[in-house]
Amino acid sequence: MSLALLYGLVGVGLVAMGLYAALAARHLLRRLLGFNVLGAGVFMLFIAHATRAVDAAGRPDPVPHALVITGIVVAVSATALALALLRRLHARHGRPTLPEDREG
Amino acid sequence: MNAESTLLALLVLPLLAAVLSLLVGRRWLGWLGMLVALLLVVLAVRFALQVAAGGAVAVAIGGWAPPLGIALRADGLSAFMLLVQSVVGLGVHAYALAYFAPARRAFWAAGWLLWGACHALYLSGDVFNLYVTLELVGLGAVALVVLGGSGTVAAALRYLLLALVGSMLYLLGVVVLYLEHGNLDLQALGTLVQPGLASSVAAATMTLGLLLKAAVFPLHVWLPPAHAAAPAPVSALLSALVVKAALYLVVRLWTGLFGELPAAGVALSLLAGLGAAALFWGGVQALLQTRLKPMIAYSTVAQIGLLALVLPLLQGGAVAWNGLMLLVAAHALAKSALFLCAGVVQRQYGHDRIAGLGGVGMQLPLTATAYFVAAVSLVGLPPTMGFFGKYLLLEAAIAQSRPMIAAALVLGSLLTAAYLLRPLALGFTEAATRQAPRTAGLGLQLPGLLLALAALLALLVGAGTPLWRLLAVGMPA
Amino acid sequence: MASEVQAFDLLLAVLLLWLAWRALASADLFKAVVQYIVFGLLLALAWIRLGAPDVALAEAAIGAGLAGALLLDTLARIGRAGVRDEARPLRLTRRRAGVALAVVGLAAALVAVLLALPPAMPGLSAEAMAQLERSGVSNPVTATLLNYRAHDTLLEIGVLLLAVLGVWVLDAEPRLDQAEAPAPLHWLVRVLLPLAVVVGGYLLWVGAHAPGGAFQGGALLAAGGVLLHLARPFALGSGWLVRLAAVGGFAVFLLVGLAMLLLGGGFLHFPPGQAGTWILLIETAAMLSIALMLVVLFVGRSRGAG
Repeated sequence: MSLALLYGLVGVGLVAMGLYAALAARHLLRRLLGFNVLGAGVFMLFIAHATRAVDAAGRPDPVPHALVITGIVVAVSATALALALLRRLHARHGRPTLPEDREG
Repeated sequence: MNAESTLLALLVLPLLAAVLSLLVGRRWLGWLGMLVALLLVVLAVRFALQVAAGGAVAVAIGGWAPPLGIALRADGLSAFMLLVQSVVGLGVHAYALAYFAPARRAFWAAGWLLWGACHALYLSGDVFNLYVTLELVGLGAVALVVLGGSGTVAAALRYLLLALVGSMLYLLGVVVLYLEHGNLDLQALGTLVQPGLASSVAAATMTLGLLLKAAVFPLHVWLPPAHAAAPAPVSALLSALVVKAALYLVVRLWTGLFGELPAAGVALSLLAGLGAAALFWGGVQALLQTRLKPMIAYSTVAQIGLLALVLPLLQGGAVAWNGLMLLVAAHALAKSALFLCAGVVQRQYGHDRIAGLGGVGMQLPLTATAYFVAAVSLVGLPPTMGFFGKYLLLEAAIAQSRPMIAAALVLGSLLTAAYLLRPLALGFTEAATRQAPRTAGLGLQLPGLLLALAALLALLVGAGTPLWRLLAVGMPA
Repeated sequence: MASEVQAFDLLLAVLLLWLAWRALASADLFKAVVQYIVFGLLLALAWIRLGAPDVALAEAAIGAGLAGALLLDTLARIGRAGVRDEARPLRLTRRRAGVALAVVGLAAALVAVLLALPPAMPGLSAEAMAQLERSGVSNPVTATLLNYRAHDTLLEIGVLLLAVLGVWVLDAEPRLDQAEAPAPLHWLVRVLLPLAVVVGGYLLWVGAHAPGGAFQGGALLAAGGVLLHLARPFALGSGWLVRLAAVGGFAVFLLVGLAMLLLGGGFLHFPPGQAGTWILLIETAAMLSIALMLVVLFVGRSRGAG
């Protein structure tokens, strides 16, 4: 098994877990964590693949690296905004869940 | 100024305006906004003329050819979307000038970033770059929604979370495409993509992500609360422009990137089915609403469904393509006008309850007229843009033996008439339920009217041969 | 970066998956966030293992560090009641079964796609390396971020700016009621803050030819700022100076790109000889802006000390 395949599989696992939590969880913070894990999985797929696309000197493909850095910044920016919204929602309603997620 | 320069100006100008919005004094915000918006409309018209005459335009940013670099590409479709974006944007910003008094810096700064993001999206020819523009559009929309105060926070958070999942799903598809082909250029990928598991997975996740952002049934749940709660100019921007960006990408993907795949026909038919469901479900929900803004928001769900409904017809030629574009423009103009009208009513009466609209015709004649014209365009009665769009689509549906689509189109229009004309009937026939405290000024009422009328005027000027010539550039075969 | 799978990799892979699941499924959200932070740090290790030190730096500083700080701060504000969730938060119910099924299907498809890939592929590395001399820097990741695909980076800074605008729109939040910061924290700040500034600046400078860059440097500066705020809370507000600092990076990027256009080359087209200088200019402005914006995201609009 190559490095790319092993970490690629980890990436798939993270995507699956993250997507499930982001859609199915009730607590908003948990859903946000799910989104972040989903992102980590997608990034991992990207970077694991970069080790297959090496140049003559054996260095991995730099483009996925640059794109993932972009992705990390975007994800953290969005997370920060979501957390600010979450704090405001909690301050107003007292519970960090959306109305449709509150019933059993 | 050649076509490439116009393209770059369209890209850079809104971003520049965003920077200036954060730095200039508050009283200049509105003037800056109007100046740049006017400039952008002029540039967009010029660009449309240039593309119609000279064909598709391409610019490799930084001088780096794709796939290493990012290519900006514009054909008839992009130029048309830029035009719609700019005209509606001008109208909404003019309204915002009067609505947000004193000026709210956050509206202008975030609004310009959103506008710039939409332009970047319509011009981008790189699938990863499209992801960044999608995120920019999403965050911009959220930042604008929360201008409405803490009552909007739940809706904004719901939208943000789903938008983020949507873009991440889209990015997953981009990654799969890169894994398979080592390329991020939209045009190049169109030739590299082969039928198989990888392209199916990429197509599925990218489309799913975009459908979430375009609020296509059943992934629409975030839209009605968000668009209903946001301030009127923001709702106008969201319903008229932001959801169109995601839908535009769906069209791009399925007529360009994945267009040659054998599954394309099935996928488009599936989308049409969802569209029909949206058209009726959204319409019924709109009928049940007791307040204007939620009704208009559900109407957006229905109209997006209408646009999705006719997608399979695109495989059949120019008539359907032209019809769809007319409908997109008509919806953008009409929907923004409707929301602006709702905003005026809210300002005037302090509420937007449909039952309490008696006497609006007398007290806000301009607004009532705007609402009437916009509604007529959405329903699709002559001589509006909406009518011509639906007429062309019906023609295409019959020519391509798609009776179901034709039937859904007609029935959907009837439903639209029912829920849109109900407030109008109340406003024009019933006497005023009480004396209004003050009259909403001209600044608030005029932009909505002009936007609605644009659906009529544009027809005289632009539709017909010049518009078909523009749209023909880069039209998929 | 050895390309052979070693025992370490297997261990790391299992740990990553296990930690991620624990973080998502822990009933106590405080535990979940801590597990997520550790997950982030292990992820940085994985990036190093996969030959991506630039990404590892960014992940550790931004993904685990700043995001972790933001998560913990939010937990502190929503209080004890908000932190405890139901016992098995991701338990499979009828309502969730559909989602679970779709997710499993997606995972299976992705695994099939992975297994079908050939062992080697050209990707874009050959092209990226070939053009490296013309790019003005010798770190290919920096070349990609600031030259080949500068348009992406420009828009990405715009995303960060929009997040800041959104936070500014939301009303000011009351300051957390907390005891005076413990003495070791003050000492830590005195030591770490200058270190953060120096290392941040170093990362910016070295990013041209080694792992590093504006984002990593900016994140480190921001970490120093957050530490300072924890020890001695301050308010930034949204006055003219703060707005200038926040938009400065984006503005410089845009204006340099425009200047290149007006000088005849093209938007964001750096002439090969000068590229290095322009990139350094953009990166310096970007680093300062990014640092400020990240601090604003943490500090928010809290009413200041006292």
